[in-house]
Amino acid sequence: MRNVLLILLRPRMLSSIIGIRPGKKGNNWWRVFMFSAIGLIFWIGAFAIFFRVLNYFNSVEDFGDILAMKLLSMMMITFFALLLFSNIINSLSHLYLSRDLPLLHSLPVSSRDIFLSRWISSAFDSSWMVILFSMPVFLSYGIIYSAGIGFYLIAFCAIIILCLIAAAISSLLVMLGAVILPAGKIRALFVVMGVALAILLVIFLRMIRPEQLVNPETFASVVNYLNTMQALNSPFMPTTWITDAARFALKSQWKSSLFNLSLCASFAYTLIFINKSFAGFSYFRGFSRAQTTAKRLFSPLTFHDRTWDNLLNFLHRPAKAVAVKEIRSFFRDSTQWPQLFLICALIVIYLYNFSVLPLDKSPIKTIYLQNVFSFLNMGLAAFVLSAIAARFVFPAVSIESEAFWIIQAAPVSIKTFLWIKFFLYYLPLLIVSEILIIVSNILLGVTPFIMVLSIITMFCLVPAVVALAVGLGARYPDFKSENPALAATSFGGLLFMVCAFGLIASVIILEAGPVYYTFMAQVHGRNLSVFHAFWLIISFSTAFILCVFAIYFPMRLGEKHLKKL
Amino acid sequence: MIDLINITKDYGTTIAVNNLNLHVASGDIYGFIGPNGAGKTTTIRMMGGIIEPSSGSIIIDGIDMKENPVAAKKIIGVVPDRPFLYEKLTGAEFLKFIADIYEVDAKSVRQRSDDLLRQFALWDWANEIIEAYSHGMKQRLIIAAALMHDPKILVVDEPMVGLDPSAVRMVKDIFKDLASKNVAIFVSTHTLSIAEDMCDRIGVIHKGNLVAQGTMDELNSAAQTQKARLEEVFLTLIHEA
Repeated sequence: MRNVLLILLRPRMLSSIIGIRPGKKGNNWWRVFMFSAIGLIFWIGAFAIFFRVLNYFNSVEDFGDILAMKLLSMMMITFFALLLFSNIINSLSHLYLSRDLPLLHSLPVSSRDIFLSRWISSAFDSSWMVILFSMPVFLSYGIIYSAGIGFYLIAFCAIIILCLIAAAISSLLVMLGAVILPAGKIRALFVVMGVALAILLVIFLRMIRPEQLVNPETFASVVNYLNTMQALNSPFMPTTWITDAARFALKSQWKSSLFNLSLCASFAYTLIFINKSFAGFSYFRGFSRAQTTAKRLFSPLTFHDRTWDNLLNFLHRPAKAVAVKEIRSFFRDSTQWPQLFLICALIVIYLYNFSVLPLDKSPIKTIYLQNVFSFLNMGLAAFVLSAIAARFVFPAVSIESEAFWIIQAAPVSIKTFLWIKFFLYYLPLLIVSEILIIVSNILLGVTPFIMVLSIITMFCLVPAVVALAVGLGARYPDFKSENPALAATSFGGLLFMVCAFGLIASVIILEAGPVYYTFMAQVHGRNLSVFHAFWLIISFSTAFILCVFAIYFPMRLGEKHLKKL
Repeated sequence: MIDLINITKDYGTTIAVNNLNLHVASGDIYGFIGPNGAGKTTTIRMMGGIIEPSSGSIIIDGIDMKENPVAAKKIIGVVPDRPFLYEKLTGAEFLKFIADIYEVDAKSVRQRSDDLLRQFALWDWANEIIEAYSHGMKQRLIIAAALMHDPKILVVDEPMVGLDPSAVRMVKDIFKDLASKNVAIFVSTHTLSIAEDMCDRIGVIHKGNLVAQGTMDELNSAAQTQKARLEEVFLTLIHEA
């Protein structure tokens, strides 16, 4: 059986190796280098943050250790939630929807072996990044607690076991869903899981209540606060065993640590055994049901014989055609839904957190703090916008997939096509960003100057970020991908994130100095000096020119590339 | 109607099409045959404005494809060899999309779309998403879409792949009917019997070069065969080239 598994996994391994092998032009090494360099920067950044936080906790008498362990427990729960989310999405695709599955099922191998090979691929795809970014967390704990090699070994085993548990739970849920759901409706699982995960995320993040950390009154009753967190540490949760295994290893209590690790390992083994047995009689059945004609999740929306697309009648016909096609394809693709729900949940949490920030109870002067927060909020909202753009706008050209010939053969220029895509994403993103910034500013109670500045800055940043995403998405398209949304994790997607972050950081930095002096002048009832006024004009003009350049240049780059295809 | 003048497509490592010259008059059905990798699909993609030639000109009804691609594409209907479509749209929605892109007279879109769906036996599937269609149904839908804007020129790559015998017959009849209405049809195929039966003139391409072109008699004379079937003529020409 081991041989069969290896053979089934070989195409995947070979394509991964070919993927990083240098191309004829030697471009790939540069890409691998850039990927690694950026990954390393994030890794070091995560390590620095954790090390600093733990160092601070370490300096707090009595409660420092409790806080550090609480943080470890929260990290494990977060990792577990992330793993569950990505495993569900990945195992659904790997087990039921991949294009190569019909070929695999035609081969003389058992469906159980096919299941195992796909399960391993799915678990690997869902877990490698979590494993990689759990390392700086464990490393900082190890250094702060002066742990020996035993801790690192146990921590490494613990995170691998956590990944296996999450992968096994997810595949069981997906297999169950594939058997229960009506044939042809397997994609509805994406919607169900998306809603469930979004609700869980809201509940989980609200249970943590991070705003209490800036409220001095809560420190008086820290034990009460910690008790409320205890709900997350049930003895029946695998994350509790994993946390305990690492916690005891940190303090060299090897017996307890190994007991918890064994508990996790046996649980993982049991789950994998159940998966294997369940797959034996249900996987092929579910797969066969998934092969039946795909059905629409929702019936068409009509009102007095008119459909929603009549609302776009003001557009030029080719523009309307592309817009309607794009909107229909987007909402009928159920793989988009979980992430859409998650983004909605995150926006709700984002705004809710501003509403509960106890600024009036903070020891720092309120007006100043409110405006500093608002300025930081502008950057944060722009980063949220970039993340949304990376996931939804960057793949906008790749999403045409192999049907891109239709656009190439159509009497619409590539330039027009790209600008249609731009406006299609620009308008909703502008609305979302402005709502985010205006509502959070109202909740913060900022001065009118900061409010106007935030609105104008977002008004300039949104088209720049969207154009960057559309343009670079067109420069680095992937029309062959089974899942075009994955383009966001490609080299082009990474380049977009770097450029978008660079642009946002530049604009914020350019504005920060003059805004500080203008704000202070307002607070003290002074007029702005000539030098500061000149600085303000130069900085704001440079920021504006940067945004205009970010709109024009990537779109031109993308257009040129698509024309050459 | 269609003029290819000194067309070359150089991919850097391979010359897919080398100095190709040909003319297709209105009402002609021009068959384009050749072995795998001969340059048929590359030629069709250049004619459809999907890729640019490295050198040479493509003139569509007097319009230079390079100078005015949008105007040239408005009068062409393209049917590619593989039916890649927007899988999340229904058949009817896809035809509406094409009608809007080509700016077909808004008043006649519904009627035209219904007629084509009926003609290509897709009426019962009109409101199902394309993802659920079989290969043959997608192929029929793509041909229907190419006819949606009443093109003066139809450029077709392997039209019969995946079609059942009745659909093959239907497509052949439709092409003949279009030719009788002065539509110029350029069709690439591996099915030599269909080319022989349907085409007025045939071009043979091998390794990017046009080896011979003309009517069956002219091809027979080029291959120095006498009243031979297209299969024999083709094999002789390819063998000699």
